[in-house]
Amino acid sequence: MAETEQFLIQRAQKGDHDAFAALVDEHQRYVYNLALRVVKDENEALDLTQETFVRAWTALPNFKGQSQFRTWLYRITTNLCYNRLPNLRRSLNDLGDDVMEDIPELSSTLDNPVHEIETNETRKFLHQAISSLEENYRLLINLRYQNELSYEEIASTLNLPLGTVKTGIFRAKEQLRKSLAHLEESWIST
Amino acid sequence: MDKHLKQEALIEDALKSQTIAPMPRSITADVMARIQTTPAPRFQLTRNDFILAIVLTVVFSVIFFALQTLPPYALIQLRIQGILLWQSLLVNARWFVPTVFFGLAAFLAAITLPTLYQMTMDQGR
Repeated sequence: MAETEQFLIQRAQKGDHDAFAALVDEHQRYVYNLALRVVKDENEALDLTQETFVRAWTALPNFKGQSQFRTWLYRITTNLCYNRLPNLRRSLNDLGDDVMEDIPELSSTLDNPVHEIETNETRKFLHQAISSLEENYRLLINLRYQNELSYEEIASTLNLPLGTVKTGIFRAKEQLRKSLAHLEESWIST
Repeated sequence: MDKHLKQEALIEDALKSQTIAPMPRSITADVMARIQTTPAPRFQLTRNDFILAIVLTVVFSVIFFALQTLPPYALIQLRIQGILLWQSLLVNARWFVPTVFFGLAAFLAAITLPTLYQMTMDQGR
Protein backbone atom coordinates (compact mmCIF):
# COMPACT_ATOMS: atom_id res chain seq x y z
CA MET A 1 0.00 0.00 0.00
CA ALA A 2 2.65 2.48 1.15
CA GLU A 3 4.93 1.33 -1.66
CA THR A 4 2.15 1.81 -4.19
CA GLU A 5 1.49 5.30 -2.85
CA GLN A 6 5.19 6.09 -2.98
CA PHE A 7 5.26 4.95 -6.58
CA LEU A 8 2.18 7.06 -7.41
CA ILE A 9 3.74 10.11 -5.76
CA GLN A 10 6.97 9.67 -7.73
CA ARG A 11 5.03 9.35 -10.97
CA ALA A 12 2.86 12.36 -10.13
CA GLN A 13 5.98 14.39 -9.35
CA LYS A 14 7.13 13.66 -12.90
CA GLY A 15 3.85 15.09 -14.19
CA ASP A 16 1.78 11.89 -14.52
CA HIS A 17 -1.85 13.00 -14.27
CA ASP A 18 -3.24 9.47 -13.92
CA ALA A 19 -1.04 8.83 -10.89
CA PHE A 20 -2.20 12.08 -9.33
CA ALA A 21 -5.85 11.22 -10.05
CA ALA A 22 -5.32 7.93 -8.19
CA LEU A 23 -3.93 9.87 -5.21
CA VAL A 24 -6.93 12.23 -5.30
CA ASP A 25 -9.29 9.24 -5.36
CA GLU A 26 -7.51 7.70 -2.41
CA HIS A 27 -7.39 10.74 -0.15
CA GLN A 28 -10.29 13.02 -1.07
CA ARG A 29 -12.69 11.46 1.42
CA TYR A 30 -10.46 12.17 4.39
CA VAL A 31 -9.56 15.67 3.25
CA TYR A 32 -13.24 16.44 2.64
CA ASN A 33 -14.21 15.05 6.04
CA LEU A 34 -11.60 17.20 7.80
CA ALA A 35 -12.70 20.32 5.91
CA LEU A 36 -16.37 19.60 6.55
CA ARG A 37 -15.87 19.11 10.30
CA VAL A 38 -14.07 22.42 10.53
CA VAL A 39 -16.09 24.68 8.21
CA LYS A 40 -19.43 22.83 8.69
CA ASP A 41 -20.63 23.60 5.17
CA GLU A 42 -20.76 20.96 2.41
CA ASN A 43 -20.12 23.26 -0.53
CA GLU A 44 -17.32 25.09 1.19
CA ALA A 45 -15.77 21.77 2.25
CA LEU A 46 -15.92 20.50 -1.35
CA ASP A 47 -14.32 23.71 -2.54
CA LEU A 48 -11.58 23.42 0.08
CA THR A 49 -10.95 19.80 -0.86
CA GLN A 50 -10.59 20.71 -4.51
CA GLU A 51 -8.30 23.62 -3.68
CA THR A 52 -6.18 21.35 -1.45
CA PHE A 53 -5.47 18.98 -4.33
CA VAL A 54 -4.81 21.76 -6.83
CA ARG A 55 -2.28 23.25 -4.42
CA ALA A 56 -0.84 19.82 -3.71
CA TRP A 57 -0.26 19.40 -7.45
CA THR A 58 1.61 22.68 -7.77
CA ALA A 59 3.63 22.00 -4.61
CA LEU A 60 4.26 18.34 -5.38
CA PRO A 61 7.82 18.86 -6.70
CA ASN A 62 8.68 20.21 -3.22
CA PHE A 63 7.27 17.15 -1.42
CA LYS A 64 10.34 15.28 -0.21
CA GLY A 65 8.56 12.52 1.68
CA GLN A 66 9.76 13.73 5.09
CA SER A 67 6.19 13.39 6.36
CA GLN A 68 3.42 11.12 5.18
CA PHE A 69 1.58 12.26 2.08
CA ARG A 70 -1.74 12.38 3.93
CA THR A 71 -0.36 14.56 6.75
CA TRP A 72 1.10 16.84 4.10
CA LEU A 73 -2.36 17.10 2.52
CA TYR A 74 -3.94 17.82 5.91
CA ARG A 75 -1.41 20.61 6.39
CA ILE A 76 -2.52 22.20 3.12
CA THR A 77 -6.17 21.76 4.13
CA THR A 78 -5.68 23.38 7.53
CA ASN A 79 -3.79 26.26 5.96
CA LEU A 80 -6.74 26.81 3.65
CA CYS A 81 -9.08 26.59 6.66
CA TYR A 82 -7.01 29.33 8.33
CA ASN A 83 -7.70 31.54 5.30
CA ARG A 84 -11.44 30.88 5.54
CA LEU A 85 -11.65 31.14 9.34
CA PRO A 86 -9.31 33.95 10.38
CA ASN A 87 -9.83 33.30 14.10
CA LEU A 88 -8.90 29.62 13.91
CA ARG A 89 -5.13 30.11 13.93
CA ARG A 90 -5.28 32.57 16.82
CA SER A 91 -7.60 30.39 18.89
CA LEU A 92 -5.23 27.44 18.44
CA ASN A 93 -2.24 29.50 19.51
CA ASP A 94 -4.18 30.82 22.50
CA LEU A 95 -4.74 27.32 23.88
CA GLY A 96 -1.48 27.47 25.82
CA ASP A 97 0.29 24.31 26.91
CA ASP A 98 -0.61 23.49 30.49
CA VAL A 99 -1.15 19.79 29.72
CA MET A 100 2.30 18.35 29.10
CA GLU A 101 1.86 14.76 30.21
CA ASP A 102 0.36 12.06 28.01
CA ILE A 103 -3.40 11.87 28.03
CA PRO A 104 -4.49 8.32 28.86
CA GLU A 105 -6.89 6.88 26.34
CA LEU A 106 -9.27 4.39 27.84
CA SER A 107 -10.73 1.48 26.00
CA SER A 108 -14.01 2.51 24.44
CA THR A 109 -15.52 -0.93 24.96
CA LEU A 110 -18.73 -0.65 26.91
CA ASP A 111 -19.45 -4.26 27.55
CA ASN A 112 -22.63 -4.07 29.57
CA PRO A 113 -25.55 -5.04 27.25
CA VAL A 114 -28.09 -3.69 29.74
CA HIS A 115 -26.91 -0.18 29.00
CA GLU A 116 -26.82 -0.59 25.23
CA ILE A 117 -29.85 1.62 24.48
CA GLU A 118 -28.67 4.25 26.92
CA THR A 119 -25.22 4.08 25.34
CA ASN A 120 -26.61 4.59 21.85
CA GLU A 121 -28.54 7.65 22.98
CA THR A 122 -25.50 9.01 24.78
CA ARG A 123 -23.33 8.38 21.73
CA LYS A 124 -25.75 10.32 19.54
CA PHE A 125 -25.80 13.14 22.09
CA LEU A 126 -22.01 13.20 22.25
CA HIS A 127 -21.68 13.24 18.47
CA GLN A 128 -23.81 16.37 18.47
CA ALA A 129 -21.72 17.81 21.28
CA ILE A 130 -18.55 17.11 19.26
CA SER A 131 -19.91 18.94 16.24
CA SER A 132 -20.90 21.86 18.50
CA LEU A 133 -17.37 22.26 19.86
CA GLU A 134 -15.45 25.38 18.89
CA GLU A 135 -13.67 25.15 15.54
CA ASN A 136 -10.17 24.81 17.06
CA TYR A 137 -11.28 21.85 19.19
CA ARG A 138 -13.13 20.27 16.26
CA LEU A 139 -9.99 20.48 14.16
CA LEU A 140 -7.83 18.84 16.84
CA ILE A 141 -10.38 16.15 17.67
CA ASN A 142 -10.87 15.24 14.03
CA LEU A 143 -7.19 15.07 13.27
CA ARG A 144 -6.74 12.79 16.28
CA TYR A 145 -9.75 10.50 16.06
CA GLN A 146 -10.93 10.54 12.46
CA ASN A 147 -7.72 11.12 10.57
CA GLU A 148 -5.93 9.05 13.21
CA LEU A 149 -2.84 11.21 13.54
CA SER A 150 -0.56 10.98 16.57
CA TYR A 151 -0.12 14.02 18.81
CA GLU A 152 3.30 14.59 17.25
CA GLU A 153 1.85 14.44 13.73
CA ILE A 154 -0.89 16.90 14.67
CA ALA A 155 1.69 19.25 16.17
CA SER A 156 3.74 19.05 12.99
CA THR A 157 0.68 19.43 10.73
CA LEU A 158 -0.59 22.51 12.56
CA ASN A 159 2.87 23.84 13.34
CA LEU A 160 1.99 24.01 17.04
CA PRO A 161 3.91 22.93 20.14
CA LEU A 162 3.10 19.39 21.30
CA GLY A 163 1.87 20.74 24.64
CA THR A 164 -0.68 22.96 22.89
CA VAL A 165 -2.07 19.99 20.98
CA LYS A 166 -2.39 17.94 24.18
CA THR A 167 -3.98 20.87 25.99
CA GLY A 168 -6.47 21.40 23.18
CA ILE A 169 -7.56 17.77 23.08
CA PHE A 170 -7.73 17.61 26.89
CA ARG A 171 -9.96 20.71 27.00
CA ALA A 172 -12.17 19.43 24.19
CA LYS A 173 -12.72 16.23 26.16
CA GLU A 174 -13.37 18.28 29.28
CA GLN A 175 -16.14 20.13 27.46
CA LEU A 176 -17.62 16.82 26.34
CA ARG A 177 -17.42 15.59 29.94
CA LYS A 178 -19.38 18.66 31.08
CA SER A 179 -22.01 18.13 28.38
CA LEU A 180 -22.32 14.52 29.44
CA ALA A 181 -22.70 15.51 33.09
CA HIS A 182 -25.54 17.88 32.11
CA LEU A 183 -27.23 15.09 30.18
CA GLU A 184 -26.98 12.70 33.12
CA GLU A 185 -28.34 15.35 35.47
CA SER A 186 -31.31 15.89 33.16
CA TRP A 187 -31.95 12.14 33.19
CA ILE A 188 -31.91 12.05 36.97
CA SER A 189 -34.25 15.04 37.28
CA THR A 190 -36.87 13.55 34.88
CA MET B 1 -17.72 0.55 36.56
CA ASP B 2 -16.69 3.73 38.32
CA LYS B 3 -18.81 6.72 37.15
CA HIS B 4 -15.80 8.76 36.04
CA LEU B 5 -14.34 5.84 34.12
CA LYS B 6 -17.71 5.16 32.51
CA GLN B 7 -17.93 8.79 31.37
CA GLU B 8 -14.43 8.59 29.94
CA ALA B 9 -15.28 5.38 28.14
CA LEU B 10 -18.46 6.91 26.71
CA ILE B 11 -16.55 9.94 25.43
CA GLU B 12 -13.82 7.79 23.97
CA ASP B 13 -16.45 5.61 22.32
CA ALA B 14 -18.21 8.65 20.83
CA LEU B 15 -14.95 10.11 19.54
CA LYS B 16 -13.92 6.86 17.90
CA SER B 17 -17.34 5.97 16.52
CA GLN B 18 -17.85 9.16 14.51
CA THR B 19 -18.26 8.14 10.91
CA ILE B 20 -16.31 9.68 8.07
CA ALA B 21 -18.73 11.96 6.22
CA PRO B 22 -19.59 10.60 2.76
CA MET B 23 -18.64 12.84 -0.14
CA PRO B 24 -21.61 14.27 -2.05
CA ARG B 25 -19.69 13.65 -5.27
CA SER B 26 -16.18 12.80 -6.39
CA ILE B 27 -14.00 15.82 -7.09
CA THR B 28 -11.33 13.95 -9.06
CA ALA B 29 -12.61 15.13 -12.45
CA ASP B 30 -12.82 18.76 -11.26
CA VAL B 31 -9.31 18.66 -9.83
CA MET B 32 -7.90 17.07 -12.96
CA ALA B 33 -9.64 19.67 -15.14
CA ARG B 34 -8.09 22.43 -13.07
CA ILE B 35 -4.58 21.01 -13.06
CA GLN B 36 -4.62 20.57 -16.84
CA THR B 37 -4.38 24.35 -16.96
CA THR B 38 -2.02 24.54 -13.97
CA PRO B 39 1.21 22.86 -15.03
CA ALA B 40 3.49 21.80 -12.21
CA PRO B 41 5.99 24.63 -11.79
CA ARG B 42 9.44 23.82 -13.04
CA PHE B 43 12.64 25.85 -12.96
CA GLN B 44 13.05 27.43 -16.35
CA LEU B 45 14.78 30.49 -17.76
CA THR B 46 12.64 33.00 -19.58
CA ARG B 47 13.61 35.33 -22.43
CA ASN B 48 13.80 38.22 -19.92
CA ASP B 49 16.36 36.32 -17.84
CA PHE B 50 18.59 35.95 -20.92
CA ILE B 51 18.21 39.63 -21.87
CA LEU B 52 19.04 40.73 -18.33
CA ALA B 53 22.06 38.43 -18.22
CA ILE B 54 23.36 39.75 -21.57
CA VAL B 55 22.87 43.41 -20.57
CA LEU B 56 24.63 42.92 -17.24
CA THR B 57 27.49 41.01 -18.88
CA VAL B 58 27.95 43.74 -21.53
CA VAL B 59 27.86 46.55 -18.95
CA PHE B 60 30.36 44.91 -16.61
CA SER B 61 32.61 43.88 -19.53
CA VAL B 62 32.67 47.43 -20.89
CA ILE B 63 33.51 48.84 -17.46
CA PHE B 64 36.21 46.23 -16.95
CA PHE B 65 37.84 46.75 -20.38
CA ALA B 66 37.55 50.53 -20.10
CA LEU B 67 39.37 50.45 -16.77
CA GLN B 68 42.03 48.18 -18.25
CA THR B 69 42.65 50.19 -21.41
CA LEU B 70 42.15 53.83 -20.40
CA PRO B 71 45.43 55.70 -19.64
CA PRO B 72 45.97 56.50 -15.93
CA TYR B 73 45.62 60.23 -16.61
CA ALA B 74 42.14 59.74 -18.09
CA LEU B 75 41.15 57.63 -15.08
CA ILE B 76 42.23 60.34 -12.68
CA GLN B 77 40.31 62.92 -14.73
CA LEU B 78 37.22 60.74 -14.61
CA ARG B 79 37.55 60.38 -10.86
CA ILE B 80 37.95 64.14 -10.42
CA GLN B 81 34.91 64.79 -12.61
CA GLY B 82 32.93 62.28 -10.59
CA ILE B 83 33.82 63.95 -7.30
CA LEU B 84 32.98 67.37 -8.73
CA LEU B 85 29.59 66.13 -9.98
CA TRP B 86 28.83 64.60 -6.59
CA GLN B 87 29.78 67.80 -4.76
CA SER B 88 27.77 69.86 -7.23
CA LEU B 89 24.72 67.65 -6.62
CA LEU B 90 25.13 67.95 -2.87
CA VAL B 91 25.31 71.73 -3.06
CA ASN B 92 22.87 72.58 -5.87
CA ALA B 93 20.40 69.71 -5.85
CA ARG B 94 20.25 67.95 -2.48
CA TRP B 95 16.90 66.48 -3.48
CA PHE B 96 18.35 64.62 -6.47
CA VAL B 97 19.94 61.56 -4.82
CA PRO B 98 17.05 60.77 -2.40
CA THR B 99 14.60 61.27 -5.27
CA VAL B 100 16.49 58.82 -7.45
CA PHE B 101 16.54 56.22 -4.63
CA PHE B 102 12.88 56.68 -3.72
CA GLY B 103 11.93 56.61 -7.38
CA LEU B 104 13.83 53.37 -7.86
CA ALA B 105 12.17 51.86 -4.77
CA ALA B 106 8.73 52.96 -6.00
CA PHE B 107 9.44 51.50 -9.43
CA LEU B 108 10.48 48.15 -7.97
CA ALA B 109 7.40 48.10 -5.72
CA ALA B 110 5.17 48.93 -8.70
CA ILE B 111 6.49 46.09 -10.86
CA THR B 112 5.61 43.57 -8.12
CA LEU B 113 1.99 44.74 -8.00
CA PRO B 114 0.68 42.62 -10.93
CA THR B 115 2.18 39.47 -9.34
CA LEU B 116 0.74 40.31 -5.92
CA TYR B 117 -2.65 40.97 -7.50
CA GLN B 118 -2.51 37.62 -9.30
CA MET B 119 -1.59 35.81 -6.06
CA THR B 120 -4.47 37.48 -4.22
CA MET B 121 -6.90 36.47 -6.95
CA ASP B 122 -5.61 32.88 -6.90
CA GLN B 123 -5.99 32.74 -3.12
CA GLY B 124 -9.52 34.06 -3.22
CA ARG B 125 -10.55 31.57 -5.93
